[in-house]
Amino acid sequence: MTATSIRPASRPASTQTKRGATLRRRQRFWARLVTGLLIAVVFLGPVLYVAMIAFETPSHFLRSPMTPPTSADLSNFSQAWTGADLAHELINTAIYSVVASGLSTLLALLIAFPLARRLVRGHRPLYTLLVIGLFLPLAYIPLFIESRMLDLYNNMPGYIILHVGFGPNLPLGVVLLYAFILAVPAELDESAWLDGTGYLTYLFRVIVPLTRSALLISFLYGMLQVWNDIIGPVVLLAGTSANLFPVTRGIYNFYGLNESAYTIFAAAVAIASLPLVVLFAGTQRQLIRAATAGSVKG
Amino acid sequence: MWSGILLGLAVYTLFGLVPAVANTVVSFTNYALYPGAPVNFTGWSNYTSMFTSERPGFMQALVATVVFVSAVTIAQNVLALSVAHRLVGDSRWNGLLRVLVFLPIVLGVTIVGLVWILFFEPGQGPAASMWGLFGAKSAFFGSDTLAMPLVIGVQVWQNIGFSALVFLGGLNAISPEIYQAAEIDGVTRWRRLSRITFPLLAPAVTVNVLLAVVGSFTTYNLIYVLTAGQHGTMTLGMLSFTAAFTDSDLGYGAALGTVLFLMTLLVALPLMMFLRRREVRLLT
Repeated sequence: MTATSIRPASRPASTQTKRGATLRRRQRFWARLVTGLLIAVVFLGPVLYVAMIAFETPSHFLRSPMTPPTSADLSNFSQAWTGADLAHELINTAIYSVVASGLSTLLALLIAFPLARRLVRGHRPLYTLLVIGLFLPLAYIPLFIESRMLDLYNNMPGYIILHVGFGPNLPLGVVLLYAFILAVPAELDESAWLDGTGYLTYLFRVIVPLTRSALLISFLYGMLQVWNDIIGPVVLLAGTSANLFPVTRGIYNFYGLNESAYTIFAAAVAIASLPLVVLFAGTQRQLIRAATAGSVKG
Repeated sequence: MWSGILLGLAVYTLFGLVPAVANTVVSFTNYALYPGAPVNFTGWSNYTSMFTSERPGFMQALVATVVFVSAVTIAQNVLALSVAHRLVGDSRWNGLLRVLVFLPIVLGVTIVGLVWILFFEPGQGPAASMWGLFGAKSAFFGSDTLAMPLVIGVQVWQNIGFSALVFLGGLNAISPEIYQAAEIDGVTRWRRLSRITFPLLAPAVTVNVLLAVVGSFTTYNLIYVLTAGQHGTMTLGMLSFTAAFTDSDLGYGAALGTVLFLMTLLVALPLMMFLRRREVRLLT
């Protein structure tokens, strides 16, 4: 609602309406302030509470959990770090999510380019086949049986390969890249073919730089998907001497084992959140723009 | 060229398409969780036994699913639209608020679930102290009456950011000239909302409603973290997972998965047709 409203020229703006407009503007300011604060409190409050109690000593937490700690106590963090084997699990998670999402983005590019350029026969049914993947149910039960048959159960390469093919990442990457490649003029291809540039050289020298933003989005969303997966590690990994768990299952198990040590547990949650918060701080612009564009593309 | 396509297609077929189809095959067997157990085809018995006392819980799960899906879909869309309406405009504060509402999506279900478990910790948590002001006590996620509403609430909190941004994209796509024209014509605020904003937002409504319906039907990862299906939160998806991986009956779990998939299609497809037709009606 804009403050300046157009009125018929025959009725000059009186002081009455001017005062009314100022009042409305002031009301609007307060309404926006209150709703903005409400959103901030609802979305940040619980997260800040966990961050706060992570610094409280257990005795302070038992006495008055809602008051901020008097001195920053880091012992929760060191206990969580060693108790939940967080260093190990964070490295596992980083390997799983970066490699799996990197591979599925790469494969999506290798599929999307020839389909978008109609370089292969049957490009249309192939594209439809991939779009179907966006709507498939996550069938963990057959996937579990398959993983045991193919010796992909409870090992690192297996867990990664399963996550490349499973879930919406690969089809989503194809659909996204397909749309972006269509926007790259085909004349570029032709001049490259005439120059005798190889297929892969052309793909990586020309197409990859031009579709950089789509590749980044596909990689980031894929990475978040693998990073935050909790059912996958429950179904596809077992507790063995070599800890293969990603940090999601690690902190979930840690909660089950230490149900009353809330401050230590809160520290574990805070440590596990930190890489995601840093990642988000660096890429929020791209992630949010992609989500906002989602509705327009349909 | 073909080698690149085939490599991708092979992985996609093997771990994306095959499991989705194989689920139905598994549902006609007595496949058990532990390797070595004999596997036999058992016909329709996994399906018929859903309705018998031999395997209780199916009817309750059906009711829980309907409650969960309808409550999440309505609450998520109403709240997301209100949030999106507040976030129109490119001020610095709006940028910050957009980041905040999107944060739960980045943090993921495990961290979000555990944060809320700490928040609703029955002894010392902030929710318990607020309840205490009224002299009330609750086990929250361990309470048969409160667990379901709380799980619904956390699911909405988790996903509101994405829906809000989709609505925001829809709101931003409405040309300011239309509003200016309406203002010159002296259209009231309410009529502007009902006659301009709402109809032009129809495509975003379609996307968001379908995402919420399909998402709340099929996902149970947040329920797994919060309650593992205890205290009346056992939806069909959660029951399928529990049957397979806790009660080690993969065949029955797969049958429940197939029923869930058919139910989702049965609801989502007519809903999609209705929403598409609504778009056409509102936009012409």
